[in-house]
Amino acid sequence: MLRFIVRRLLLLVPIILGLSILIFLWIRALPGGPTQALLGERATPESVARIRHQLGLDKPIYKQYWAYVRTTASGNLGVSISSRRPVTTEIRERFPATVELAFSAMIFALFVGLPLGFFAAKRHGSAFDHLSLVGSLIGISIPIFFLAIILKYIFAVRLGWLPSVGRQDVLIEAEHPTGFYVLDGIVTWNWNAAWDATQHLILPAIALGSIPLAIIARITRASALDVQNEDYVRTARAKGMSPGIVDRRHVLRNALLPVVTIIGLQVGLLLGGAVLTETVFAIPGMGSWLAQAIFNRDYPVIQGGVLFLAIVFVFVNLIVDISYGFLNPRIRVS
Amino acid sequence: MGKKLKFGLVAVVASLSLVAAAGAALHGKAATTTLVFGASADPVILDGALVSDGESLRPISLIFQGLVSLKPGTTEIVPQLATSWTTSKNGLNWTFNLRSGVKFQDGTPFNAKAVCFNFTRWYSFPGPLQSDAVSYYWSSVFGGFRNPVAGSPGPDKALYKGCKAVGANKAIILLNRQSGGFLGALALSVFGIASPQALVQYKADAGTVSADGVFQPTGTFGTQHPIGTGPYMLKSWKIGDKLVLVKNPTYWGNANSPNWSRSGKIDQLIFRAIPDNAARLQALQTGEINGYDNVAPQDVPTVRTNSSLKIVNRPPFNVAYVGINQSKPPMNNPLVRQAVAYGLDRAAVVNAFYGGRGQTTDQFLPPQLFGYAKKGVPSYAYNPDKAKSLLKEAGLTLPVKIDFWFPTNVSRPYMPDPSRNFQAFQASLEKSGFQVTAHSAPWRPDYLGTVQSGGAQLYLLGWTGDWGDPGNFLNVHFGAKKDQFGFDNASLFALLAKADAETNLAKRTALYQAASVAVMKFLPVVPYVHSTPALAFKSNVKGFIASPVGLDPFWLATLG
Amino acid sequence: MSIAEIESQTFTLETPTGGLWHEAWRRLRHDRGAIVGFCFVSVFVLAAILAPWIAPYGPLDQNLELITNGCCPGPSSEHWFGVDQLGRDELSRILWGARYSLVIGVVSVTVGLSIGVALGSIAGYFGGAVDNVIMRMMDIMLAIPGLLLAIGVVAVLGPGLFQIMIAVGVTSIPIFARLIRGSILSQREADFVLAARSVGVPRRTILGSHILPNSISPVIVQATLALATAIIDVAGLAFLGLGDPDPSRPEWGAMLTNTNEYLQVAPFLAIIPGIAIVISALGFNMIGDALREALDPKLRGRA
Repeated sequence: MLRFIVRRLLLLVPIILGLSILIFLWIRALPGGPTQALLGERATPESVARIRHQLGLDKPIYKQYWAYVRTTASGNLGVSISSRRPVTTEIRERFPATVELAFSAMIFALFVGLPLGFFAAKRHGSAFDHLSLVGSLIGISIPIFFLAIILKYIFAVRLGWLPSVGRQDVLIEAEHPTGFYVLDGIVTWNWNAAWDATQHLILPAIALGSIPLAIIARITRASALDVQNEDYVRTARAKGMSPGIVDRRHVLRNALLPVVTIIGLQVGLLLGGAVLTETVFAIPGMGSWLAQAIFNRDYPVIQGGVLFLAIVFVFVNLIVDISYGFLNPRIRVS
Repeated sequence: MGKKLKFGLVAVVASLSLVAAAGAALHGKAATTTLVFGASADPVILDGALVSDGESLRPISLIFQGLVSLKPGTTEIVPQLATSWTTSKNGLNWTFNLRSGVKFQDGTPFNAKAVCFNFTRWYSFPGPLQSDAVSYYWSSVFGGFRNPVAGSPGPDKALYKGCKAVGANKAIILLNRQSGGFLGALALSVFGIASPQALVQYKADAGTVSADGVFQPTGTFGTQHPIGTGPYMLKSWKIGDKLVLVKNPTYWGNANSPNWSRSGKIDQLIFRAIPDNAARLQALQTGEINGYDNVAPQDVPTVRTNSSLKIVNRPPFNVAYVGINQSKPPMNNPLVRQAVAYGLDRAAVVNAFYGGRGQTTDQFLPPQLFGYAKKGVPSYAYNPDKAKSLLKEAGLTLPVKIDFWFPTNVSRPYMPDPSRNFQAFQASLEKSGFQVTAHSAPWRPDYLGTVQSGGAQLYLLGWTGDWGDPGNFLNVHFGAKKDQFGFDNASLFALLAKADAETNLAKRTALYQAASVAVMKFLPVVPYVHSTPALAFKSNVKGFIASPVGLDPFWLATLG
Repeated sequence: MSIAEIESQTFTLETPTGGLWHEAWRRLRHDRGAIVGFCFVSVFVLAAILAPWIAPYGPLDQNLELITNGCCPGPSSEHWFGVDQLGRDELSRILWGARYSLVIGVVSVTVGLSIGVALGSIAGYFGGAVDNVIMRMMDIMLAIPGLLLAIGVVAVLGPGLFQIMIAVGVTSIPIFARLIRGSILSQREADFVLAARSVGVPRRTILGSHILPNSISPVIVQATLALATAIIDVAGLAFLGLGDPDPSRPEWGAMLTNTNEYLQVAPFLAIIPGIAIVISALGFNMIGDALREALDPKLRGRA
């Protein structure tokens, strides 16, 4: 087991290295480059040359890369051009928002998707089964931002049931020790704030979670269908075991295995979808931050933010891989 | 079993309610009159000299005050921190008599020394702060720095010479040459006077230049301790969340406006950033904000028909235009520029897109400004055939290929939907012998950067006046060579310089009228509309007088 | 992209021989989902092909007088889908928009498929270090969330329809590569391959004449699903402002984005293109899904 983990960890190194090279080259491939963004309208040839020298852009490329690796590894991701704050500070403030949103979306997807898929498999061939299949197909066919706009329009503007922007009502005074607003409310015994933060999460979580919901439902259904027809399940039923126990002890447990793998892979989906969802609901997370940075040609932000997200993604996948190794011994051995 | 369960349940409910009550007690809401305003972005920094964007200037104009200000809702100059002023005979020395008894929000006294401290600070900005990206307004009004770095103008080019404090209540600003627009410029929020003690204590100028060349302020003046003399002061600011201003209890205006303590005045102002215009309207409808700026023309009827909302008009003081860069042929040919003017169906665009809130125009100056020419202005009414014949006269084969730029990701008061204006203009130009290639870029920095550095042949842009003088429209744009327009017209420059230096109002008006006509004959741009921007509020917000230049007096509004 | 990737991981497909193709086709014909999907896709494709002839107006013909009283007149007898914020007929724009979506979908899938299959084949064929390098590159590409990868590519290439197609296509390369490589690897040890090798058939021929054709079915399924995702991702890119720089072109994603500001006064302007996107993507998803079920050997023998 330990060998498995170590092997996985070692694999990380080339990936992260490769990522840093990719991002480094990508920044320099962008039209206009960092110099134009900094100077904007004052870009005379002399000032461009001056900035290039200041940024070390006239040194050979491997020296630039080495300098980049050194500064990045020391935790310095540069300073944002638009907000003039260190990139690491912005990440620290914005990452919890995205995590909270992604987490809520995943919970929504699991709470609705797992039972949906499971019962669809149980009632294989029924109208419920067909409806859930079609529903899940529709779920992956709707652009997330379209769904977000419609949800916002119906539930926030027309019906007024839920708020339409941000993470919290501005009139609420609340401390934020952790940065996760719902958790903060609970930790500081501020129930008003916790409930308010939850309300702000509902619509974005539904919009963001729509695709994972569809996928989880489908995979649970397929996997449960497979397991249901396995011999050992049929044997258990034939033996006279109550269907409820059969479901819980055998079908559910084994059907969940593929779902666990899926969860890790969906982090990527969630991060991409967060860009769109956060923009529609004006949530100050990393998604909207990166989207704005691309508009504003805020290169330090793009560079640091994408690198950070990619590393997070890689680590999440690593954890999923390792936990899947725990759950399924066959993988460990292969 | 049952009794234990019941007891357990009661215990749980009891403890939960205790906890709930404790929570409520800890975080009860106090009752203050609060206005939540939806801004389009977070401010960059709360230090007037270092910003030029509207969203930063909004809170800055409430925290800081300048020597003079504008009468609410107008561009008329009124005293503020200076009660009166005189000029020397040669017009180079401006003596300001300062208001006495004024204190900064940190308790330190406002006096002539403080005024000169601020001016000297701006004049002595170190290298990284001298770029236009940082101190645009100082450069554009006062034009120079004491210790210029490469690329920045020095004392020889500057309008500003120095500042002298005479006693506690007299400050003299020394200029290198005469300027008619100088006084109006002082009304800009960027020239608000800050507390010298705070500037020093919180290291307003301190900062590092990162590896990417970005100036990063290390002091906390502009982020946590912006100390001015204004009616509001900063309580807290969390980027991405909200910026909270509270009433300044020692504001000198309290004594002079008894209305201040009248109930309903806004004690607390909260600004929250909502980047999307449609989202701002929705937030207003759900009650998450109480007001916002730049209502899209198509949303005005929606707000009006909603009985819980209202529209407040901002007096029109802007112009939208199609800019022409004459360094990109064939735009250097006046016949081609005239063809562009005849080929733009400006009236149709204004009638269809501005919801009755736009006035089609033939002049760059808005009619509210003196200097607006009443006669002699050439009119270029939409005429595709005339455009085509002009192009042929210029010896070109039709269709003439042109590159037309428009900004994305932005909504301007004079141009609520740039893409829409662009598409309509594209269609009418293509009927007039042109072939239009579309180019777009996000507003900041790409679009502005490209246009202002002369990278765009034809482009959509506009201007909201900063103070009530035609120089702010005509000289800023056409008074000197600019990459954006790509022309070098010595006679036009001379006429505008003469007009700016003229201090007699009647003569100034006549000169600017002549200049306005000359600009329209030369056609460096084709202006098309002066629009009336709108703000939307909850109906219980009363007394809000919108300023034509964006200096909105929130302290005059009440929540009924 | 990622969705298809996820799903492809859990299902392995055996390639059908002649008999299985027949059986698959029979099953497809009776699958209601496949039929509905096919209908949606046909409507979409027909609209795209016939647009110049069946559209009542030109997609770029503005009529500003129609909106002088505000935006925008809704569906009427002259304009079945209403009129947009520049007075253009919405129905015509939707029909012409189908062309853009179809071309974008086909081109981006072709880009992803061809490069992905090529890379995956090379990796599977040569094995060893080559395999390692290529797969690590694919891992790196997969390490960046799909939408961000597409944004990154568009940022380098600049805005433009063609660039978007490439960007969206690039994001599906790792999926196809992994698919083909997995298929090749699992077939490498198969009996028929060992038999052919022992007789002396060169590896190239085995790859080209046996292994690759056997890998077609998962690729087809993947391609259909990737088409659906391409349509949606292009809309997402347009929403973020990275779409076609010419706003008058009737591309559905751009139409959806540009009318966001008119949501309160003319919601149909946003709803109609949105529904068009959903229906086209849904059609391809349904077909891909039905294909997968039809070709899945595990479902053989089940009703």
